[in-house]
Amino acid sequence: MAECVKVCTGNFGKGAQDIEVYKKLGGYGDALKRVFEMSQFELIDYVQRSNLRGRGGAGFPTGMKWSFVPRNSGKPVYIVVNADEGEGGTFKDHFLMMEDPHRLIEGLIIAAWALGTRTAYIYCRGEFLPCIESLNKALNQAYAAGYLGENIMGTKFSLDIFVHRGAGAYICGEETALINSLEGQKGQPRLKPPFPAVSGAWKSPTCVNNVETIMALPWILQHEPEEYAKMGTPRAGGTKVFCISGDVKNPGVYEAPLGTPMMTMINEYAGGVVGGKLKAVLPGGSSCAPLNAEEAAVATMDYECLASMKTMFGSGAMIVINDTHNMVDLLNVLGNFYSHESCGQCTPCREGTGLLHRILNLIVDGKGHDGDVELMQSLCGGFGGVTICPLSISLGGPVSSYTAKFRKDFDEYIAKNPDHAKPRVQETYRPGIFW
Amino acid sequence: MRNHIQGAVQFVANNRLKFDRPAQPIEALPDPAQSLGHVHKAVAQPSAKEVLDKLSTPEVKARCADLLSRYPVPQGALLEVLWVAQGVLGWCPREAIRWAANVCSCAPAHALGVATFYTMYKHAPTGRFLLQFCRNISCSIKGAAPLIKYVEKSLGIKSGETTPDGLFTILQVECLGACGNGPVMLVNDEFATDVENGQLTLKVGSHLTEESIDRILKWCYAREEKFPKGEPVRDVLGGEVKGHGGHPGAPGAKAQLQSSDYAPVSPVLNVKAEVDANGATLTWKAAPEFTKLVVEKKNGASWASVGEPGVKDKSFVDAKGKVGDVYRMISTTGERVAKPSKEATATQKPEPVEKAV
Repeated sequence: MAECVKVCTGNFGKGAQDIEVYKKLGGYGDALKRVFEMSQFELIDYVQRSNLRGRGGAGFPTGMKWSFVPRNSGKPVYIVVNADEGEGGTFKDHFLMMEDPHRLIEGLIIAAWALGTRTAYIYCRGEFLPCIESLNKALNQAYAAGYLGENIMGTKFSLDIFVHRGAGAYICGEETALINSLEGQKGQPRLKPPFPAVSGAWKSPTCVNNVETIMALPWILQHEPEEYAKMGTPRAGGTKVFCISGDVKNPGVYEAPLGTPMMTMINEYAGGVVGGKLKAVLPGGSSCAPLNAEEAAVATMDYECLASMKTMFGSGAMIVINDTHNMVDLLNVLGNFYSHESCGQCTPCREGTGLLHRILNLIVDGKGHDGDVELMQSLCGGFGGVTICPLSISLGGPVSSYTAKFRKDFDEYIAKNPDHAKPRVQETYRPGIFW
Repeated sequence: MRNHIQGAVQFVANNRLKFDRPAQPIEALPDPAQSLGHVHKAVAQPSAKEVLDKLSTPEVKARCADLLSRYPVPQGALLEVLWVAQGVLGWCPREAIRWAANVCSCAPAHALGVATFYTMYKHAPTGRFLLQFCRNISCSIKGAAPLIKYVEKSLGIKSGETTPDGLFTILQVECLGACGNGPVMLVNDEFATDVENGQLTLKVGSHLTEESIDRILKWCYAREEKFPKGEPVRDVLGGEVKGHGGHPGAPGAKAQLQSSDYAPVSPVLNVKAEVDANGATLTWKAAPEFTKLVVEKKNGASWASVGEPGVKDKSFVDAKGKVGDVYRMISTTGERVAKPSKEATATQKPEPVEKAV
């Protein structure tokens, strides 16, 4: 495995939670000086040239996102850092915030300069209390050292950062739900448009960025944007923090350039598959379509290649599955998860995910019938484009692709029911009895 | 009028039996684990006085004032204020939710809706050690389900229940964000895969096993003996941050609005000049807020103004331009003049490539 520049994880294990150590490692130095001489427009152009794309899942170019935020609208501009990572298999932000909170704060100062933000929020999920403690300690140090508050480092620029503790709702990772939650409401997504960049938190322009996106900024400002762009693929620059979990020898957080082959990640970084042969890989968290072993052998970890294989790069969370597992069990876990986390606004999602989950439960219990797989596939067809947010597709996508790629597993389970050839009594779907 | 109302009341009373549906028995879920243990049970509520006495301490008041100063609207602090209440009381009784609504000046019904939407607000008292086990995909692959069964067996309860001595509550939750250590659990607010030197640890590469769960349970019992009256207080919001100015305009905030001129005015970027038969054509990239643009051409040692393109123009043509001329652009925003753009030397425009016939 080739040595790679560590953009986000460079300070891991060096005690960078302390501000003095972080400064010795090059933090709060050249990057901020360089930023404070730039105009907003120049800085946004700079980030656009670095080809940085959002690391949260959708992969939208960061500089372009910033350029949509209207300036001089007379309203305050907010930046909200999305640290509500709840997608199965994703755990990079947890360790990034634990190990290097000051880099997040420095990145946030840079982003705030670009947008003219006075108040920024870090929306951290409720389960991450150790992370919030680490962040608050770092914030205290940064305020005491004069990097936050009024007139930072002798400029006219002021910034306050607050950590907002969420309370356990997966859907708050969606940006409009996150904004609703920040406003003290239920975390239910809003209709777009208006987009948050125009009318977000408290009807002000709001930019929601992932933790890793913000943490890449200090490095980009310390170096040249072209240097960052060079590391990745032509359409997405830089390195990515991958989280590898599941049946591998050394699961964990690894930083590698975009476009690294998938098998290199599994075999060289994570030490190879254990407990059996490779059966499937989820390349971007629990809501993406799985790749089987043949597809995984040719895939590279970047946005374009995975999109061309009809799955998605997502948050770079690879979940490796060996051949001792039945895919129906895993899909049942996902069904449980997404039906539990549906916020309840849109009927197709609220009812559809619950129905899928219950059908899967029956199949796993040995009560499956012959038409069940087709029934699930037809249900997934009703999800696309009719809900406010993509949560229902996050379950619908896996259901259609698991059933298409691993049909044998489903048939095995259904065959366990001695009456599987008989049609299911339609009455079981009646509300109140079936769900 | 009165007769009408009386008539309507009579009609409903006469026909009530016809409209009533037959009584439908509501069956409890057979297994609390089916709902992951997040069952909203009807529990005995403490009296209003008891709750308000605990929540009207000076520390809680100061904390709430600090939280309210962070958001432009008091309602923004609702989640945090609910956390404070849960930190003091251990759970969120209805009266505490009403109190939080009062603090954040919103309707109690809204606060109740918020408190029941999020799963981490507890609506019934939990055991002293809340054991939350991740059962999402990564942990399932590594065998979370048998481990949860193991804990249920060794404590003698099911997921969602509390042991009779009030020590442990088991919950099955969704992804905890530590999938590399899967299966993983939270003991109250601490991630744990093992115990080392009397402390819960989450080390890289470690994961829960039956033995390490035994050690964690043992650690909990030892903790109970050491602190019989409850845990040392741990801040539910991860500690206070000192020195912040709050949100401009919020009650108790010192912060002022961002001054509009903190950053220098942007120069024009990417100026290019290309010469063809019509003269030199200039293109550039400019910020949207400019009010005036000036094109200048180098004339010996000084600069001479060539023209002023409109703010929305995309290009500008200097009819006298020829190859080798040096141009620069200066922009003005309001009354602030930016530094000149980088100098651009005019080059010959490449001939359009003719298509092969």
